[in-house]
Amino acid sequence: MNVIVQTSYYTLYQSAKERSFYVDFGQKMVRMSLCQLLALRYKLMSIPIENHFDGDLNKHGFEVLLLCNKEHLLVLNTYEILDLKQFVEQSFMALGLSVEAETVTI
Amino acid sequence: MKDIARQSMSIKVESMDLLNGQIKMEAHASATYLAMASWCEQNGFFTSAKFFYKQSEEERGHMMKIFEFLVDTGGNPVSPEVTNINHDYSSIVDVFENTLEHEVAVTKSIHNIVKKARELGDLATERFLDWFVLEQVEEENTIRDILDMIEVTGTEGVGLQMIDNQVANWIE
Ligand SMILES: [Fe+2]
Ligand SMILES: [Fe+2]
Repeated sequence: MNVIVQTSYYTLYQSAKERSFYVDFGQKMVRMSLCQLLALRYKLMSIPIENHFDGDLNKHGFEVLLLCNKEHLLVLNTYEILDLKQFVEQSFMALGLSVEAETVTI
Repeated sequence: MKDIARQSMSIKVESMDLLNGQIKMEAHASATYLAMASWCEQNGFFTSAKFFYKQSEEERGHMMKIFEFLVDTGGNPVSPEVTNINHDYSSIVDVFENTLEHEVAVTKSIHNIVKKARELGDLATERFLDWFVLEQVEEENTIRDILDMIEVTGTEGVGLQMIDNQVANWIE
C-alpha cells in the first residue's frame, strides 16, 4: 500500500491490488472506496464548524460521524474535525480530483 | 502507481460541488413554479396555472439531468433541501416578472459554472452544460414574449382574462 496523504491525525493509503483506499483514523483503519471518500467529504462540508466556538450551539465540541453505510462510527473533537477537513481536501488534491484550494472559490 | 481515483471519477470535485448547487437551484425553480401554479389557480388564471405546472415539471427534468450526469461521472449527487418558496404575488404580471428574474438568475449561475469548469480544465462538465446554456436562451425568450404580450394586451377591463387565454400559445 502506498501512503498518499498524511496529516496530524490521519493517513490515506491506496491499495492498487484491491483497487481501494484505506484511511487510518487513529482509532481504526477503514477501507474506503472513492464513493465513500466523497461521502465523507460531503459530510465534513456540512458540519457547521463555527458552532464549535459557540457554547450554546455546540455545548460539547464533538461531532459524530457515521461512515460507510453506518458501518463505522467516529466521535471527533474540534481539532480532529479541523484536521480531517484538511486531510480530505489534501487527499482529493493528491488524487488529482481537485485543484488547489486557492485557485477556485466555491 | 495506478490511478484508481481517476478511474472512479471523471470530473473535478469543484465541478461536482457547483453542479450540486445547480441541482438545488433547479429544484427551487420547480417548487417556485408550483407555488405560482397554486397562485394562478386561486386567482382564476387557469391557463397560466397549466403553464406553470408544465414549467415546474421541466425544472425537475433539468435537476434530474444534472443528477444523472453526476452519477455517470462517478460523483456524489445530493438530493436538495428546498426552502423559502414564495407564494405571494400582487398580480399575474408580478408572477411573470418574477419568473423572468428567476430564469435570469439560473442563466447566470449556469454561465458561472461553465466559466469555472473551463478554468479547471474540466471539459466534460463544460460540454455537458452546452445544452443548458441554449435551453436558458429559450426559457428567457418565452417569458419575455409573454411579458410583451401582457404589455400589448394591457391589464384593463377584460385584459387580464385575455392575457390568461393567450398564455395557451406558450404551452405546447
Ligand atoms: Fe432549469
Ligand atoms: Fe427554467
